[in-house]
Amino acid sequence: MPNRPLAVRYADDFSLLAGRWERIGLALLAIVALAYPWLASANWITVANLALVAVVGSVALMILTGFTGQISLGHAAFLAIGAYTTAILGTQFALPFWLLLPVAGLAAAVVGLAVGPFALRLEGLYLAIVTIGLAFLTNHVLLSFPEYTGGMAGLAVPVHLGFGTAPAVLSERALYGIFLAIATLTVLAARNLARSNTGRAMMAVRDHDVAAAVMGVNPARAKITAFGVSSFFAGLAGGMFALQQQFITVDPPFNLLLSVQYIAMIVLGGIGTVFGAVAGALAYVFLSPLLEIVGRATPGLSQLPSGLQSTLLFAILVITCLVFEPLGLYGLWLRVKRYFMAWPFRY
Amino acid sequence: MSTFLQLTFSGVALGAIYALIALGFVVIYRASQVFNFAHGDLLIFGAYLMVAASGAGLPWGLALLASLVGTGVLAAAMQHVVLRPLIGRPVFVTVIVTIFLGFLLRIAVLLIWGPETHGLPTPWPMDGAVSIMGAAVLYNTFATLVLGALALGAFFLLLRYSKIGVAMRAVSQDQEACLALGLPVGRILALTWGIAGAFAALGGIGLAMFPRAVEINLAYIALAAFPAVLVGGLESMAGAVVAGLLLGVLQVWAQGYVNPLLGAFGQNFHAVFPYVVMIVFLMVRPEGLFGQQRIKRV
Repeated sequence: MPNRPLAVRYADDFSLLAGRWERIGLALLAIVALAYPWLASANWITVANLALVAVVGSVALMILTGFTGQISLGHAAFLAIGAYTTAILGTQFALPFWLLLPVAGLAAAVVGLAVGPFALRLEGLYLAIVTIGLAFLTNHVLLSFPEYTGGMAGLAVPVHLGFGTAPAVLSERALYGIFLAIATLTVLAARNLARSNTGRAMMAVRDHDVAAAVMGVNPARAKITAFGVSSFFAGLAGGMFALQQQFITVDPPFNLLLSVQYIAMIVLGGIGTVFGAVAGALAYVFLSPLLEIVGRATPGLSQLPSGLQSTLLFAILVITCLVFEPLGLYGLWLRVKRYFMAWPFRY
Repeated sequence: MSTFLQLTFSGVALGAIYALIALGFVVIYRASQVFNFAHGDLLIFGAYLMVAASGAGLPWGLALLASLVGTGVLAAAMQHVVLRPLIGRPVFVTVIVTIFLGFLLRIAVLLIWGPETHGLPTPWPMDGAVSIMGAAVLYNTFATLVLGALALGAFFLLLRYSKIGVAMRAVSQDQEACLALGLPVGRILALTWGIAGAFAALGGIGLAMFPRAVEINLAYIALAAFPAVLVGGLESMAGAVVAGLLLGVLQVWAQGYVNPLLGAFGQNFHAVFPYVVMIVFLMVRPEGLFGQQRIKRV
């Protein structure tokens, strides 16, 4: 049965991949991910692109909430900043998209570093609600400058392949390739962060910030770093989202629901691990087209707008999951594993 | 001067509603350490229930009562079925669960009563007003203030002088000790949630009276009451009332005086103004006006 080998040396704790089973699993995943665009239909490639955006976004939130324990309900704001940076710079200066994505991340990171100090004085619910406030403020600012952002009407996102070249259209398959590369790098970066001093300082702050400070960890630095790194990746995800959608508006999608969905992803996946962020994001996004089919087929529900149908089914799913399976998908996996390990006995 | 009075009166009316909503949050938070994000949706549920009850031919007073009781029962049921099993889980789990419960409730309201807006019936003329020193004050404003004050007064008396009130305060301090003493903790928690639900319904009814109407977007107003909760201090009921009134008045003043100063940026600025006040205030006093100062031990 796939099992993580016992960590017997200090170096085992630092290894990127623990043991044979993780390597095999990763190889299988890589094969599936590379073969996917040649097997799936166009619609499902779109879904996969959105899923990859969600992977980057939820890894970002996992760094902030899962590693550092800072609850943010304003994640949508950082995505919005990334998306609008991509769209506005693309429109005004015709910059190429491969330059805009990191710039979008940096723009969000600057805002994140400015927000970080709030977390030094506030925690828990107070921080959660202050971040909601910051998200409202961001949306207000975005709507207040319609000459740049298009206001309520929204803004088209041009894709330039080089400096000042004519706008091009990236096929869904090309986007998939680009997004897959970005998502892989993001996951690798987050894994490396978790193994580093910085990452373990974050986890120490999450578990008990006073105790961490006594041990010589600087909680202020850990929190602000977490805000910076997390908002960089969130901005990157926002930029990817803008490229994928080709046309963006402020609300929806960048509202409280989006922030909550990201929290739901990381909690459903299993809080505190990069694996959880990836699994949660993939499960969440791939479930939505399935739920839309269910919603259409259910009498009574079909009269609702389709957005509400999937929200409704998601709400039911998330609540049941959280009430009955505290550890999320990771907990389900543990159950399955234990069942087979103990087979033929129940316990 | 009359503009100032006019703004102040409507600010107080809005503030009274914020105070009711904020009090609902605080009552629940003190009892079960849950920040109930579904409160805004209880609010619209209450307002719709009121419309439905008077549509069914109940007189105004009875319809009001039906709405308060119905919403209270719903809140108590929510606590019992969904939130009770989550005791001892991290904060963000209850945050997500209550937010999603809110979505469920909102969709249920849409499914039952449809997306149309309804006027909330009142026994007096809907847009009747009296003039006080040149400022027109709607009867509805008075009704909101009187109902709000009655509810708050009754609740404070209940909490201070009745046996149930003492039990409720005890449960909010230490559930285990209460269980050991033989208090029916589950039932007391259900009652607390029920009272908070009734506050939400009352807030919803006050909010939905003319010039507004009963519609699904009223739930967002509860989001605007969050700052009142935090500025007052999460654990403080007096703080919720004071901060609610204060933020209501500030918001309407901002709408009257600050918005025009800011040009294009000022459009709808009053909607985010309470949040700006909250963020600045919390930077100075992280625990709010009357909140508990948190002491940490290693």
